[in-house]
Formats: sequence, C-alpha cells, structure tokens
Amino acid sequence: MARAGLLYSAILVVTVVIVALAAFRPIRVLPRIAPAPGFALTDQEGQRLTSEDLRGKIVLYDFTYLSCPSPCARTTEVMRQVQERLAREPAAEPEVRLITISFDPERDSPAALRAAAEAAGADPARWRFATGAPELMKLIVGAGFNVFYERNPDGSFRFDPTLVLVDGWGIVRAEYRVGPPPAEQIVNDIRLVANEARRSRGPARLAYEATHLFVCNVR
Amino acid sequence: MRRWIIPVAGSLLILLLVGAGAVAAGWLPVGRDTVHGSVIDPPLPIPDATLTGAGGDARQLSDFRGKVVAIYFGYTYCPDVCPTTLAALARAKQALGKRGDDVQVVMITVDPERDTPEITQEYVSRFDPTFVGLGGDVARIRQVATGMGVYFEKQQRGSAGGYLVDHTATVLVLDRNGDLRLMLPYGLTAEQIADDLRWVLKQ
Repeated sequence: MARAGLLYSAILVVTVVIVALAAFRPIRVLPRIAPAPGFALTDQEGQRLTSEDLRGKIVLYDFTYLSCPSPCARTTEVMRQVQERLAREPAAEPEVRLITISFDPERDSPAALRAAAEAAGADPARWRFATGAPELMKLIVGAGFNVFYERNPDGSFRFDPTLVLVDGWGIVRAEYRVGPPPAEQIVNDIRLVANEARRSRGPARLAYEATHLFVCNVR
Repeated sequence: MRRWIIPVAGSLLILLLVGAGAVAAGWLPVGRDTVHGSVIDPPLPIPDATLTGAGGDARQLSDFRGKVVAIYFGYTYCPDVCPTTLAALARAKQALGKRGDDVQVVMITVDPERDTPEITQEYVSRFDPTFVGLGGDVARIRQVATGMGVYFEKQQRGSAGGYLVDHTATVLVLDRNGDLRLMLPYGLTAEQIADDLRWVLKQ
C-alpha cells in the first residue's frame, strides 16, 4: 500500500508540473518560421543596408510602394506606433530596428524614400526606408519574405500588406498578414524574442529549447 | 470511488514512460549537449535547386538526400573566412569518425565569374576529398542563396588579386530529408560544429 501511495504521489507531481507548464506558461517563445532572405539594399541616405548589417538585431519589416494611396498608410502607422513605444522604453538588448522596404525601386529613389521617412516621423537611427535592384526585389520580397505583390497596368500595385519580425539570427519569428495588428501585440512579440535572446544561455537555454517543442506554449 | 483512479493513473504512467523514452531517445533536449547553432523548428522544406558540378553535370540539392548536408556559400579567392570555415568543417567531419560518412559538405560559389565548378571542386577537395563544390550561373546561385538567408555582393574595393565578394558566412545544415534544420554562425569551433552535426544525425 505504501508503494502504491508513493506511485500516486509521483504521478501527482508529474501531473502538476505538466498542468503548470501548460497553464502558467513560465516561458513563452515565438516559433522559428523560416530564414529571412539575404539582401543588399540601398536606404534613404543612399547607404548600403545588407542582411548582415542587421545580424544580432531584432528587425521589424514592412513592405510598400511610396505612390500607394491611403491603405498603405495603415502599416506605416503601425510602424510609427511601434517606434514610439520602443522609444519610450529603456534601450532594449538586443537592439531593435524597423525597415520599410519599397518594392518599387524604379520610382522610389533614395530622395523619395527620405521624404517618406520624414513624413512618417521615422527616427533615422531606428527606422530606415530602403529598396534594391529592380531585378532582385521579387526574389527578396516575394520569394524571401513571402509577400505577394504585383504591378497593375496603371503602375499601381496589388499586394498583401504584411509585417515580418526577424530575430538576430536572421530567422522569421512572426508574420502579421491579416490587417495591421495592434502595435501593442508587435511590441509584446519583440519583447519575447528579446527575452529569449538575452536569457537563453546555459541551463535556461535547455528550458527555452524544450519550450519550442511544445506548440501549446507558442504565444 | 477508486474505480476511476486506475485508468487515470495508468494513462499518466504511460505518458510518463513515453516522456522518459523520448528523453532517452534524444528527442527532447534534456540531458544532452546544447546545440550551438540555431535550430529551425519545424524543419523547413527548401525548394530544390539545380546547380553545376565539376565536369558540367547538373547537380541538385536533393541528390544528397539521406545524408546530413552542410551548405556553405563561399569563393576560392576568399582571403580568410572561407578557408577557416571549410577547415573547421573538415575537422568536425573527422571528429565524427564513421558517422561522418553520413555528412556531406557542399560549397556553393558566390563568385561564378572566376570560380568555375571545376575550380570550386578543386578548392574544396584540398580541405577534404569528400567535399563537393558547386557552381552555376549567378542568377541561379542568387536564388538559392537568398532563400536560405544568404546575401552576396561583388565589392569594388579590390585586393591584389582583383575584387572581393561580401557574403553571409553562415553554414546551413539540412537534415536527411533535405529540410533546413540548423544555421551555424561563423566562428564556431570544429568541436562545436561536430556536436551540432551529431545532433542533426540523431534526428
């Protein structure tokens, strides 16, 4: 009987641990979705901006073309709000960058990008606007970031407004595709990725890697 | 009262045993060396790509399925990063002993202008005779590289031998199904790479 009691208490302990992990989610992670594409772009100051420059930083991307009428302003507004919230917090580690990529390099010169960045209230240290060689944009934005866009005969574009969050490894950790999400949610996600990058060392790394195995703990 | 306890306890016990079994089999990261690179989870299918091997034959990434494939993008004029990485990969493969036979190292050139598939193959063979060097036209190579998060760009600033090519120095590890499983940053030691390859081999 004593042995049975021991067995039951062991089972109880294991059950409590499992339930606690599922219910309280002591560690939360975002899934590692896919590698973000490698790229070399030119920003609003005419500077090179490559995927290597962003290694070690958390990056939020959005995609647009500058002659886009009002609907595009909605993702830009989300980017602006994210920038504002991040600016209010103490300097995050790892650093966070915002990148707006134009898939219309023929029209969106660095000067046009700079004007758009200023209009959006972008802090140049944190938020850069960039575009690249016309023949590579489909590869980077379409295939790489998995964002659909297509030029209409009138020169406008059809595209799916998307924001993509990439970690310091260059791995996509979140995609926001259905309408612009609240800035609040994105900032929370950025915090999760930043926490993982900071804390996932030594024994804690095991706990983080274990958490990646449990789908129920993903956000 | 007691009747429900037995099935509940029984099923919990089974869960516990399955968990213990999973740990023992190395499916869970408990009690095993931490992976040094970054794990892609779930493994990411990558589009197959046709490149060119030495001798001009078409080689597909899927040809290597069944083996763990470590892909490196580099070029033969590369002054430091590429030789360091290839030498580390060669030592890591040696450290795996017999299991190293199931690891295929592939270098894809990012400088096809100067590196023909033959030159690329000859270059990697110097590090390990089993390494494979691949080339092809630059558009095809860029497509493969971009999808794996690798960028490369010819630099105007020259060295004595001509130009340099900036490129991402990450090693990409595909599992036996040909899916992307692991990204190794530049600068890992041969021992660390061997640990990570051992982990992918076990998957």
